[in-house]
Amino acid sequence: MSKPVSSFKLHLRAVATGLKYLLFPNRITVYYPEEYVEPPEGYRGLIRYYPERCIQCGLCAMICPASAMKMYRTKTDRKGRPGVNYQRCIFCGFCVDICPQNALEMTKVHDVAYESLNELVVPPERFSQEPVSPAVAGGARRLKTVFDEERGLRHELA
Amino acid sequence: MSWGDALSWLLRLLLSPQVFAPLIFPGLLTALVVLLTVIWAERKIAARVQMRVGPLYVTRRLGGVLQMLADGTRYMFQEFIIPATADRLPFLFAPVLALTLAIVPFAFIPAAPGFSPIKSPYSLPAALAAISAVPLSVLLMGWSSNNKFAIQGAVREAFMGLAYEAVVFISALSMGVLYGTLDLEEAVSRQWLPGLLLNPVAAFAFFVGMVMSAGKLPFDIVEGEQEIVAGPYVEYSGIIFGIGMGLAYLKLYSLSLIYTLLFLSGWEPVVAPLYSLYPGLGGVLLFAKAYLLMLFIVFLRSVYGRYRLDQALRAGWRIYLPLSLISLLISILLRVVGVV
Repeated sequence: MSKPVSSFKLHLRAVATGLKYLLFPNRITVYYPEEYVEPPEGYRGLIRYYPERCIQCGLCAMICPASAMKMYRTKTDRKGRPGVNYQRCIFCGFCVDICPQNALEMTKVHDVAYESLNELVVPPERFSQEPVSPAVAGGARRLKTVFDEERGLRHELA
Repeated sequence: MSWGDALSWLLRLLLSPQVFAPLIFPGLLTALVVLLTVIWAERKIAARVQMRVGPLYVTRRLGGVLQMLADGTRYMFQEFIIPATADRLPFLFAPVLALTLAIVPFAFIPAAPGFSPIKSPYSLPAALAAISAVPLSVLLMGWSSNNKFAIQGAVREAFMGLAYEAVVFISALSMGVLYGTLDLEEAVSRQWLPGLLLNPVAAFAFFVGMVMSAGKLPFDIVEGEQEIVAGPYVEYSGIIFGIGMGLAYLKLYSLSLIYTLLFLSGWEPVVAPLYSLYPGLGGVLLFAKAYLLMLFIVFLRSVYGRYRLDQALRAGWRIYLPLSLISLLISILLRVVGVV
């Protein structure tokens, strides 16, 4: 503002850059419910539990820094099996790392919505079911991100 | 009088320039369509530049063009709340006054050669005067809302109004000096070259003043969504809020029509077949140019951030006012040399 004449050139450059993006758009978003970007390997999404591998040691509940993992005990099963409270979970993956039997696994599902807070508390029975992404269940096309030297990120059918 | 006579009388009335121009083209009805499509276009353009999609789901095949219609319908049926502390009568009266004042310029803007609703030798200052009266009603809105944000917005409007009005008027009058007339219709006929090339300084100053006047980015200081949440319109809800939102676009529309007439040689070249069909339709090119201009102005939204009030005022008084005065000198010089 203090140098109106020299800054005029910069204004022109800014407008030209805007026009460039207007004429040659470089969209980085996808039409989400119809298209679904597959997360990369090692993505920390919802946790899946395999009860047949579990030795009920309780290490996962012990390591959990957010106290989200808890052992659910019943009358017949005194040692308990893990369940998770997603209100607390910070998706750090400590429980998955510490499990000696690989009974816990992080899935790639992350786009899940719940209708009530109670549904966020997942007991062992539901914890052992495969989490489902609503977009994928609705028949979304799966896309994967590819790095492009020219354009930046690009989406391709997976 | 039979039905046929009544019908033909009604048709004649509707097709007379005094009714057709302000109500249908380029007036109220066209303005409404422009309003709906330009707001949509603004969002779409910003989305394209910002690597997004923009409004989509209402009429998906047309890219969500009816989004604004849906929003408008929602405004219609929304409850209209009058705050208990507001000054009731001015609170209701101000938006109506603002809308009326924003439509008045269409009475002076000619749509085609020989087709102006009010044929006046002073149509340029008259249209500008009507536009510059709108901030008064915005002030009234802010004051009667009895809300600190509204009053802040109103005061900003007053500051901005003083800063840009002088620029707009002087650069428009410099074109009046250049063409030797204040009649918009005659101004078009005097342009053997578009006014943009005859006096680029005036064109630039008027353009910036126009953006300031319409409160588009980078000068949407009055609304100040981030800190004073829509400013003078903060207490309004329902359709009156819609009016407040549309007000800026109406101002922008009438100002870009005036800009096209003054600087972009208006309706020239006239589309002869349309003109011979009905004179009012001869202004199709005028409309197209004005619409493109509006698209460019709303495109600026995706390029600029917002200026602070003091920055905008400094630009208005220290840069654009001298620029408009320089443009006046250029016009006088060109007039003396006898270019036009």
